[in-house]
Amino acid sequence: MTMAEGKEFQKYEYFQNRELSWLQFNNRVLGEARDKSNLLFERLKFLSITASNLDEFVMVRVASLKDMVYADYTKKDIAGMTPEEQLKKIGEGMHSLVDAQYSTWNRSLFPLLKKEGIVFVPHHELLTKEQAAFVDEYFEQDIYPVVTPMAVDSSRPFPLIRNKTLNIAALLKKKKGGEGKGELEFATVQVPSVLPRIVELPAAEDGTRSVILLEEIIERNMSRLFLNYDIVCAHPYRIMRNADLPIDEEEAEDLLKEIEKQLKRRQWGEVIRLEVEDTVDKRLLKILKKELSIKDDVIFYINGPLDLTFLMKLYGMEGFDHLKQKKWVPKPVPEFANDDDIFTNIRKGNIFLHHPYESFDPVVDFVKQAASDPQVLAIKQTLYRVSGHSPIVAALARAAENGKQVTVLVELKARFDEENNILWAKKLEQAGCHVIYGLLGLKTHCKICLVVRREEDGIRRYVHMATGNYNDSTAKLYTDTGIMTCDRAIGEDASAVFNMLSGYSEPLSWNKLSLAPLWLKNRFVSLIEREIKWVSRGHEGRIIAKMNSLCDPVIIQTLYKASAAGVKIDLIVRGICCLKTGIPGVSENISVRSIVGTFLEHSRIFYFENGGNYEIYMGSADWMPRNLDRRVELLFPVEVEENKEKALHILLAELADNVRAHMLLPDGTYEKPDKRGKVLVDSQEVFCKEAEETAKQLAKDKAASTEGRIFIPRESPE
Amino acid sequence: MAVTTFAAIDVGSYELELTIYEISPKKGIIQLDRLRKVIGLGKDTYDRGIISYDRVDEMCKLLHRFKAVMAEYQVDDYRACGTSAIREAENREVVLDQIKVRTGIEIDVLSNSEQRFLCYKAIAAKENEFNNIIQKGTAIAEVGSGSMQISLFDKDALVTTQNLKLGALRIYQILSRMGGTEADRKQLAQELIDNDIETFRKLFLKDRNVKNIIATGVCAMYLGKGAHTDKQRITTQEFLDFYKDLREMNEEQISEKYDIPSEFVSLVVPGAMVYKRLIEVTEAELLWLPGVRLGDGIVAEFAEQKKLIHFAHDFSRDILVAARNIAKRYMGDKEHSAILEKNVLNIFDGMKKYHGLGKRERLLLQISAILHDCGKYISMRTPGESAYNIIMSTEIIGVSHREREIIANVVKYNTMEFDYSADSVTLDKDMRIIIAKLTAILKVGNAMDRSHKQKFKDVRVSVKDQQMFITTASAENIMLEESMFSEKADFFEEVYGIRPVLKKKKGV
Repeated sequence: MTMAEGKEFQKYEYFQNRELSWLQFNNRVLGEARDKSNLLFERLKFLSITASNLDEFVMVRVASLKDMVYADYTKKDIAGMTPEEQLKKIGEGMHSLVDAQYSTWNRSLFPLLKKEGIVFVPHHELLTKEQAAFVDEYFEQDIYPVVTPMAVDSSRPFPLIRNKTLNIAALLKKKKGGEGKGELEFATVQVPSVLPRIVELPAAEDGTRSVILLEEIIERNMSRLFLNYDIVCAHPYRIMRNADLPIDEEEAEDLLKEIEKQLKRRQWGEVIRLEVEDTVDKRLLKILKKELSIKDDVIFYINGPLDLTFLMKLYGMEGFDHLKQKKWVPKPVPEFANDDDIFTNIRKGNIFLHHPYESFDPVVDFVKQAASDPQVLAIKQTLYRVSGHSPIVAALARAAENGKQVTVLVELKARFDEENNILWAKKLEQAGCHVIYGLLGLKTHCKICLVVRREEDGIRRYVHMATGNYNDSTAKLYTDTGIMTCDRAIGEDASAVFNMLSGYSEPLSWNKLSLAPLWLKNRFVSLIEREIKWVSRGHEGRIIAKMNSLCDPVIIQTLYKASAAGVKIDLIVRGICCLKTGIPGVSENISVRSIVGTFLEHSRIFYFENGGNYEIYMGSADWMPRNLDRRVELLFPVEVEENKEKALHILLAELADNVRAHMLLPDGTYEKPDKRGKVLVDSQEVFCKEAEETAKQLAKDKAASTEGRIFIPRESPE
Repeated sequence: MAVTTFAAIDVGSYELELTIYEISPKKGIIQLDRLRKVIGLGKDTYDRGIISYDRVDEMCKLLHRFKAVMAEYQVDDYRACGTSAIREAENREVVLDQIKVRTGIEIDVLSNSEQRFLCYKAIAAKENEFNNIIQKGTAIAEVGSGSMQISLFDKDALVTTQNLKLGALRIYQILSRMGGTEADRKQLAQELIDNDIETFRKLFLKDRNVKNIIATGVCAMYLGKGAHTDKQRITTQEFLDFYKDLREMNEEQISEKYDIPSEFVSLVVPGAMVYKRLIEVTEAELLWLPGVRLGDGIVAEFAEQKKLIHFAHDFSRDILVAARNIAKRYMGDKEHSAILEKNVLNIFDGMKKYHGLGKRERLLLQISAILHDCGKYISMRTPGESAYNIIMSTEIIGVSHREREIIANVVKYNTMEFDYSADSVTLDKDMRIIIAKLTAILKVGNAMDRSHKQKFKDVRVSVKDQQMFITTASAENIMLEESMFSEKADFFEEVYGIRPVLKKKKGV
């Protein structure tokens, strides 16, 4: 390793702090919400995403920085900032992000909605008489039975306010004639999460539709919850607690139990953010601050509805199709558009998959067919995040019931999905699968599925490896790539991967795959350094790398070294990027772009020119220390020429993108490239069109083959 | 079925290993899967003499998991072999029984020479590379966790093999009990190693020319990490550079720089020290790391026995060459031995219907003939006992301990009266019968050349009416032989119920 050699590139000023870079990313998403060229409902969706992104950021990243501060941890990050300094900067960044979110809502989207015939009633005071009657009725019928009003006095302590829930706080005063001397009392009500947040009101005669938020209806009817009181004031608020509680694995006898316990405990964490209406009553706020021990700098005064994630639900409203982008239907993968079974098709050659442009069905079918194929001996798969009713989980369970050896590595530490994961993991176990609940101290992030089949000429292994999770729902939204193959060497490696995941030693050698945390970083470093060697021999050096995040210091330093040596490097980094471009003598040969589009960019593709004999790799890993050191990641080569071209095409199309791409400038900001006089290229749209073309051609070919009057007898499979 | 799936389990001193193979005439032996897990059985055995209950438990659990994998691949057959950690454990029988009861797996405990021979088979199975390497003077050096084995080649046959207690785990255990700095300990280890290797050089290597060293075993696994291009064939210089790093770095640094799993670094360092010294004393130029494991030998032997594949290399010849080499060291009468070999084999083959023994026993008889007079080197008065002791303390590659004991007894009783109630506790009923049968043949065969004049050069053996006729075409007087013969014939008759009779061919 060359860590020591790279010292010259190790200066603080050469790096961006990862949290600040993340905030920039969320700002780019917000940019899409502000972009007038996007359809209105798409803009609502982007705004909603910025809100849920920020929630997770606060809960995980901010929380862990807080932990560091409490632990008196003062080590500086890659950019030379202490945790305290970072928190300060992040606080500023978050406040301005929130300001921008609400100005987007108030100034653009809210009025635009009205123009399009949807009136969003911001306060219950603005309801018409008819509407008011409607919501009061709705309160009586649907809301009242599920709310739990909680007053606080000397006999009733301050209740537990749940993480991320929306609540209404109120100040009450006893009605005349009652006891007490007119002192103010505090009460709080959780806005029930079982009811939809958006309530549609009866449409007006002219067809205008109106909606109001659930909390406004409750606020309007507060007095019905506290009958003997007068409501002095009532305001919604929302808190965020420290959720990133580390799990002590050394002591945990059973990881599963530990996580279940953590989930319950999580609600008790420290409050690290409070969102309140900016018009909140001072006395009310004081009580909240005191009872929840909240400091001033974590309070966000919101000019608008709290928790903008409800906008995703608004997006789901019936109608308004002209304001939404047409729903993309993934196209069939050409290699499977025949009557052969999946294994026969894979035997014809390695198959490249590009989702969501191409359908995820072959991956689901792969497991499904394996589950019922009499020749299949075993199925082994890693599962990280799966959808609620995953057909893959169902197929695996069926396979076990059919007597196949099924090994499933379930990763329980995928954030926020844990309750869901534990549920189906148990289901798999009941079906007879061998379930491995992750590895101590490591997150299993690699996505690989191995099917072992006994065929006439011996054992043959079929492998699917991908950049995305085995999740049929997200496969419609995330851009991911994958390979299906029955290559012997990869099959052998795949078995070795599962052996390692089952607790066996590393294989003595690997054929083609690389596995982190053990080899991946070194592997990348040596691939980057190989480009430097090519340059020193008078060739061109070139790297194109696409990933979600880039913040590994060793990799970045090696990239700087390569850039300084003359290697041309183009990076496509969706999210966090701690690398800086345009530093004289350090990173002048590096470009960084980020693509934020309708689909979430998720694939990781790495191109190395290798003196004209180029190599392309794909995998589950980002160039993040988290990924390279503490996760089990997989890197696999794209081998067949045709598939290499497909992967390269993805990279080149994204490098040509001037609609969705933001360029990282030397001053550290991101900006969309100048489009004047240029043909507009939206890479996601390009891929959609190409997939459509291929599908059309396929349909045509199929029609042609069935039109004739010649019968084609089908041959027996094998 | 054209394809056979086979599993080999290696219950080693440092790790347990399961390898799944596919054997077909078309593609030969293909490794499908290999699972390894570190269980330091040797730590128990070398330290305390016995394998603890916890380890047995751990081992049984792992073997259970191995069984599941074997079921997954639907293997047709398997063989599990144990090596030195089990062999040397005082509670071996109990441990093996526990394993059998709990997992259903029966472990064959290999003697050292069997184990080495299997490994050698695995190397030789890589025919092209192997034949290429042994063009020059070659040694096979296998540094395991418990001991090391050095075998020397003469042209294409193994001539000698020696076991040295220089196992990496053993060295590591000794050192970890000592104080001092890391550097001190490395120095001490080096002295320990140098001493043993020097003895080997003086006694066995002598002026043999060794250009290539074939390195196998747990310590050789990672020796290629420092090589620049070919990780299997490393030059002395590449090795020495790597060695320098090992000496200077701590375990963590080594693990990081060379991607060696941390659980193996502690073995790689002492292992490399052994190889380094060996390279120095032999002045070898190249290290070949064929990367073979015991399992590869187990499957090779299985495939050979089941005639699933055919090896060009004749392994029994290795055994015979090694035996002749031992005879040479003890100044056996080469010509006499050669005729004796021929005669006893003749009798053996002629008696096939009556003794019911197989190919392997034939080989043992042949080795007994080769070694029959080695005891004279020590004492003319008690050649039988001396030979017994020599054979019992000399490894013959490819021959198990049990088989060696048979040979030693056959040779002993060749010159002594057969003792039906021999006191050795290790002799079981089967062994005694084999010993008796082979001894009877050897005695007769030896009597045929009492004069060492090779009068019975071309004999014909035929059995008729409870008599075995040994007919010679020799024109010489066979008085001496005939007079010696009856006593030996008595014993033969005792064993087989058939009386051997010496005959001269008619008309001669």
